[in-house]
Amino acid sequence: MSAIDRRSSILFAPALVVFAVFFLIPVGFFFVVSFWQLKFYELVPGFSFENYVEVYREYLHAGIFTFSIALIIATLTTVIGFMLAYLIRFRAGRYGPILLFLVMITLFGGYLVKIYAWKTILGTQGILNAGLMALGIIDEPIAWILYSPHAVVLTLVHFLLPFAVLPIYGALRGISDDPLEAARDLGARPLRVLIDIVLPQAMPGITAGFALAFLISAGDYVTPRLVGGTSTFMVGNFIESQFVNRLNAPVGSALSFSVLAACLVTLAGATFLARRLLRPR
Amino acid sequence: MRIIPRTLWSAFGLLSVVFMMSPLVLVVFFSFGNNPQATLPVGGLTVHWYRVLLDNPDFWHALNNSLIVTLSVGALSTVTGTAAAMALARWPMGTANAAMTVLTMPVMLPPLVLALALATAFSAAGLHLSVLTVIPSHLVFTQPFVILIVYAQMVNFDHAVIESARDLGASRPRAFVTVVLPIIRPTIIGAALIAMAISLDDFVITFFTIGGGMTLPTLIWGMLRTAIDPSINALGTLIIVATIGSSAIALHLTRYRG
Repeated sequence: MSAIDRRSSILFAPALVVFAVFFLIPVGFFFVVSFWQLKFYELVPGFSFENYVEVYREYLHAGIFTFSIALIIATLTTVIGFMLAYLIRFRAGRYGPILLFLVMITLFGGYLVKIYAWKTILGTQGILNAGLMALGIIDEPIAWILYSPHAVVLTLVHFLLPFAVLPIYGALRGISDDPLEAARDLGARPLRVLIDIVLPQAMPGITAGFALAFLISAGDYVTPRLVGGTSTFMVGNFIESQFVNRLNAPVGSALSFSVLAACLVTLAGATFLARRLLRPR
Repeated sequence: MRIIPRTLWSAFGLLSVVFMMSPLVLVVFFSFGNNPQATLPVGGLTVHWYRVLLDNPDFWHALNNSLIVTLSVGALSTVTGTAAAMALARWPMGTANAAMTVLTMPVMLPPLVLALALATAFSAAGLHLSVLTVIPSHLVFTQPFVILIVYAQMVNFDHAVIESARDLGASRPRAFVTVVLPIIRPTIIGAALIAMAISLDDFVITFFTIGGGMTLPTLIWGMLRTAIDPSINALGTLIIVATIGSSAIALHLTRYRG
C-alpha cells in the first residue's frame, strides 16, 4: 500500500466534491440558518438562540415521546435482528443463505409501499381483522391497532429489520468456530459463550444497526403520519410542518439539530453502557 | 450452543420470514384482486387496476421523471463511486476507512433533515427546483453504496495483473479498460443497480427537492392522501418488482454480503 499519491487524489475528487457541495455546505448552511430569524417570510441573518428556546419551550414534550418510541423501535429491531443474524450464522444450516437472501431482498421494495401495506393490513377492514374474524377468534374488528403508536412501532421495525440484520450478520460472520468450540470443550455454558465470545465480537454490527434504526425512526415523519393517527405526533411531523405549513426554516432547523444532538448523546450513552456491560472477565 | 431448542429456532425463522415478506406479498396479491378495499374476500383475479393505472396521465409523467432521475443517478454515482473506490484501494487501510465513514454520513442523517437542508440551500442559492435538483440530492447518498461495494472488491484485487499490463506497455487508462474493468464489471453493474434501486425508492428527499414535479414514490404519496385508489396496489407492485428485481440481480452479480 502506497501513501496517498496525486493520481488517486484526482480519482477521489469527484466523490468528495459531490459530498462537499450537496452535503457539507447544505447541512452547514442549514445549521447556520437555525440562528437566523424569519421576518415577513424572509430569512434575516443574525445570531440568536431564540429558535432553540422556542424549540425547548414548545417541543420538549414531543421530543421525549419521539425518543421513547425510537428507543423502543431500535431496541426491538436490534434484538430481533441479532436473533435473525444469529440464526443465519449458527443455526439455520443450509437454510442460512436463503434467509440471508430474503433479508437482503426486503431491504428494497419501497418505503412508502411498505407503510401503505401495513396500513391496509392493520385497518378495521384489513386482512388481519378479516382473518381473525373468519377464524372466529374475535367477533368484531380490533380498532386500536391502526392509527396508534403500536402501528408505528410495528411498521418501523419491519422497515428497519434488514438494516439491523445485515451489519450484525457481517460481524457474526467474522467469528471463527475455533474459540467457540474451545470454550464449549472447556465446559462453558451456552449463555457464557454468548456473553463472553459472541456478543463482544458482534458489538460493532449491533452498534451500527441500533444507531441506524434509532436515527431513522427518530427522524421519520411519514410513518407516524400514515399509520400513527392523531395520537402519534413525532418530532419529524413538527419539523415537516414548520417547513410546509409555516414556511419557517429557522425553527425547523433548530428543531432538526436539537433532535440530532440529542440522538448523538443518546447513542454515545448507549454505546458506552453496552461496552461496560460486555467487558470480558 | 443450545440456549433455545431447535424447534423454537425454526418457528422463529418461519415467523420472521412471514413478517418480512407478507406486506410485500399482500400488495402484489391485492393488485390482481377484484375487491377495491384490498381485503378479504379478494374476489376474482383481474388486471383492471393495472389498466386504470396505465390510463392515468400522472403515472406516465411520474414514470418519465423517475426514469430520468434513476438512470442519471445510477450512471453518475457509478462513475464517482467507482473512481473513489479505486483511489481508496490504493490508500492505507485506516485512511480509506476514515474517508468512507465521512462519505457515508449522508446515509446516517435522517432523510428529512438532509432533504430540508438541501431544499433550504437550493432556495437560498436561487436554484429552481426540478428533476435537475433531485439528481445531485440522490447522488450524495447513493455514491456511498457504490464506494462500499466496489471497494470491497478492489481491496482483494490482484494488482500484479495491472503491473503486468503496464510492463507490457499499456497506458494507465488502457490497463484499466482492458484488464481491470472486465474483472470488476459484475461488481460495478451490481453497485449501479443498488444505487438505482435506492434512488427509485426514495420519497422524502425527492419530495422536498423536486418542486412541482412528481416521481413514482411521490405519486404514491399523492394517491395515499386522496380518496382510496385501488390502482395504488398495481403501482406498488411495479415498484416492488423494479427495486427487488434489480437488487436481486445486483446481489447475484456482486456476491456482496453485507
